[in-house]
Amino acid sequence: MKKLSFLIILLSINVSANSILIKSGQINDGFGNSFIGDILIVDEKIVEVGKFLNSSSAKIIEAKGKPVTPGLISPISNIGVVEINALDVTNDDSPDFFGPGFSVFNAFNPHSTLIPWNRSNGVTSSISTPGYSSQIFKGMGSFYLLDGDIDITGNADVAMYSRLGAVGGSRAETIQIMESMFELALNKDELELEELLGTTFASSIDMQLQDIQALSRVVNREIPLVLEVNRAIDILQALRLKNDYDLELVLMSVEEAPLVLDQILASGVSVIIDPMDNIPDSFDELASNIKLGGILSNAGIKVMFSTQRSHNYHLMRQGAGNAVAHGMTYQAGISGMTSIVADVFNIQDRGSIKEGHFADIVIWSEDPLEPSAYPTTVIINGSEMSLETRASRLTERYTDKRDIPSSYKH
Amino acid sequence: MKNHLFLAFSMLLIYSCSEDVEVSQSSTADSPAKSSSLERDPFESNYKPLESERTLIKSVNLYDGLGNEYSNFDVLFDNGIIEEIGKDIVDNNATIIDASGKWLTPGLIDIHSHMGVYPAPSVRTSSDGNEATSPNTAEVWAEHSVWSQDPQFSLALKGGVTAFHVLPGSANLFGGRGATFKNIPRNIIHDMKFPGAPHSLKMACGENPKRVYGNRGSAPSTRMGNMAGYRNAWISAADYQKRQNEYIKKSDEAKELVDPPRRNLELDTLAGVLEGEILVQNHCYRADEMANMIELSKEFNYKITAFHHAVEAYKIADLLADEGICGALWADWWGFKHEAYDMVPANIAIVDQARGGQGCAIVHSDDEVGIQHLNQEAAKALSAGLRAGYEITKARAMRWITSNPAKAAGILDQTGTIEIGKDADLVIWSKNPFSVYALTEYVFVDGAKAFVRGEKELQPVTDFDLGIINPSDERASL
Repeated sequence: MKKLSFLIILLSINVSANSILIKSGQINDGFGNSFIGDILIVDEKIVEVGKFLNSSSAKIIEAKGKPVTPGLISPISNIGVVEINALDVTNDDSPDFFGPGFSVFNAFNPHSTLIPWNRSNGVTSSISTPGYSSQIFKGMGSFYLLDGDIDITGNADVAMYSRLGAVGGSRAETIQIMESMFELALNKDELELEELLGTTFASSIDMQLQDIQALSRVVNREIPLVLEVNRAIDILQALRLKNDYDLELVLMSVEEAPLVLDQILASGVSVIIDPMDNIPDSFDELASNIKLGGILSNAGIKVMFSTQRSHNYHLMRQGAGNAVAHGMTYQAGISGMTSIVADVFNIQDRGSIKEGHFADIVIWSEDPLEPSAYPTTVIINGSEMSLETRASRLTERYTDKRDIPSSYKH
Repeated sequence: MKNHLFLAFSMLLIYSCSEDVEVSQSSTADSPAKSSSLERDPFESNYKPLESERTLIKSVNLYDGLGNEYSNFDVLFDNGIIEEIGKDIVDNNATIIDASGKWLTPGLIDIHSHMGVYPAPSVRTSSDGNEATSPNTAEVWAEHSVWSQDPQFSLALKGGVTAFHVLPGSANLFGGRGATFKNIPRNIIHDMKFPGAPHSLKMACGENPKRVYGNRGSAPSTRMGNMAGYRNAWISAADYQKRQNEYIKKSDEAKELVDPPRRNLELDTLAGVLEGEILVQNHCYRADEMANMIELSKEFNYKITAFHHAVEAYKIADLLADEGICGALWADWWGFKHEAYDMVPANIAIVDQARGGQGCAIVHSDDEVGIQHLNQEAAKALSAGLRAGYEITKARAMRWITSNPAKAAGILDQTGTIEIGKDADLVIWSKNPFSVYALTEYVFVDGAKAFVRGEKELQPVTDFDLGIINPSDERASL
């Protein structure tokens, strides 16, 4: 055993063109294991996780017992596709023409200020999703690495987004339309498809070929459907749709989930929740409760985190912290921001600290679930990222006490 | 005990600090609003505390809200008032709560809430926060919109909030009057009003008024239009104030000879500001606009108590400190609109530390979730301040959610700190309140247990919560 690790060390010394060795971190690997250890990174990948690792050529980062986690993955965000919400010319997350066929992928701006901000707070990748849509299916979201490189690394169209509930009209009709659209999408014959597009139903809801093609990926289980739903009985309707159309389903929000916990568990779906949202904000969310995260997770359901807090997707940490304060296990809190997101959205080789995985790693000042914690090191694809942000530049400028106009402080 | 002396001395200090927001109540005697058929002024507080018992909290770690931290302290209160603070207090008549290893803070105060005026559920039929029908609606009072059964009150109470200030929305240049409440949910709203607390006037700068009215093709549609709107209103208010005061000063005989000047609700509010009776709570994001608003306040000789949201307060932190204006701020919200683009997480700390620590920083929520976690928002702001190089203690940061908002609400003489003679508005936390894992265990309002974790009968349940999902149950067991 000893001999083997010695060999690996030798090997890594030889190949290390660009390598980093993190020493003595309190590693949480994203899978539930927590231990003091070292991480050797060569180029983009983690090549070894263990104790007493050495490398003569690697840059050494002393973690000194501080928490080390996988880079956080936001399962739902508008990073790179919305700069200022109330300024429509900076928004690229809402379609005017397509329904489910809308893909946000080509809108991503790697120079958005949201990227350094979220990255410096520990979010190393995210799924950017369609925003408001008048249609039942809002379109598809895409996965992006938050390295800010103009040469964008990402996966296009990783999930479809939709909602069910009190959004105008009858939810019964929403379900009927969903079913009809799934039926259309199940039809694989191209000629017949064109004919179907001419039907009264397809034309009356403005359904385009791209919409049917996108939905066919959902009914063929190529991508998950992320369905925002809250009322207990609507959750059961969603689970029925999953069964009827054999969908890969992820439920979002699910504020009344505790009322139908057994059914959710039996269905095997995972969920995205905002654990701090305990407000009965609509008549669909009457059972809203701050214990939601713990109730779901302790029952065995995979829980991921969203946050409503204005451009700050890293605040899923605060959400996870509150979930843990109200009954969730600590490990579920960490996994819900890392390995579970990677697993559910089929993001290969990320979301955990594991040999062979891409090195997306964060070293924290303290327990990352504490609101006061911040990253001291952020690594994406094996490269150490700058922690500078527009906010840090502004802070420097306005704490500079020289008696000259601020415009000259730079 | 020497600690008592120290606390008494600090209390004097805080009174002198708060002079600039103290409100003269004397002129209400001459107010034309006085009605002969009510014992009190119309809509005045009719608050009565819950029944309480003489209580001694033992061996607790304590942030007093003035900037001090004490270990292993005892606090005794009776009839809703703090009587004694110190070590090893013995009292045979008091109910004793052993709080070893736990933390005691003043009840938290939110200076910017829309609870009641934007209650849950968030639906059209009870969305009553913005009278967005005219850029000047100084005549409306937020308390007349408050829905007493809003389930958000109890959630905030559970988060340690014992008093909160409800403001109208920010669609208008002058949004109307705000009011302060004790967080004891009652089914008549003036039974919740904080006794003696002054009204505020909500003013708003920037994007909201110009967007709302500009979209309708009416004034204001620009920031210069906003300024002209304020100035015209203050000119009318100064004139109204002059005529009212001229009448009041007349002898009784002279009053017989003329009709009193006709009251105008809108100008009543604005003149109340000019008289110093109503505190200005000013929604304003950008530094340049805040500087304009300060200029405006000097033109018309009134005082701005606090700038709210003030994402750019850090750019003029010294000016705010010099003018004695508080910044009521978020820890980290940004980007939802253009005027909120220049957020820095050290904003609160920079405002606090201006002019060698003379600044008045407040963590506000403006949010039904944030109000439940003001302690966590303060933790983030403190962390950012330390990273920016300031030396700020947790005890000082506790002021941001206790004494500073109390000062800005004009209630610091009654609450917001743990001092002898103050209302026993207190929270016992399971852990240090700057940790995400800290939960409130007891929340006292005027010495009465308003919330006790794990005790069902000591958790308020609104009419809304009752039997709504399942007739035999409450909405969500707190």
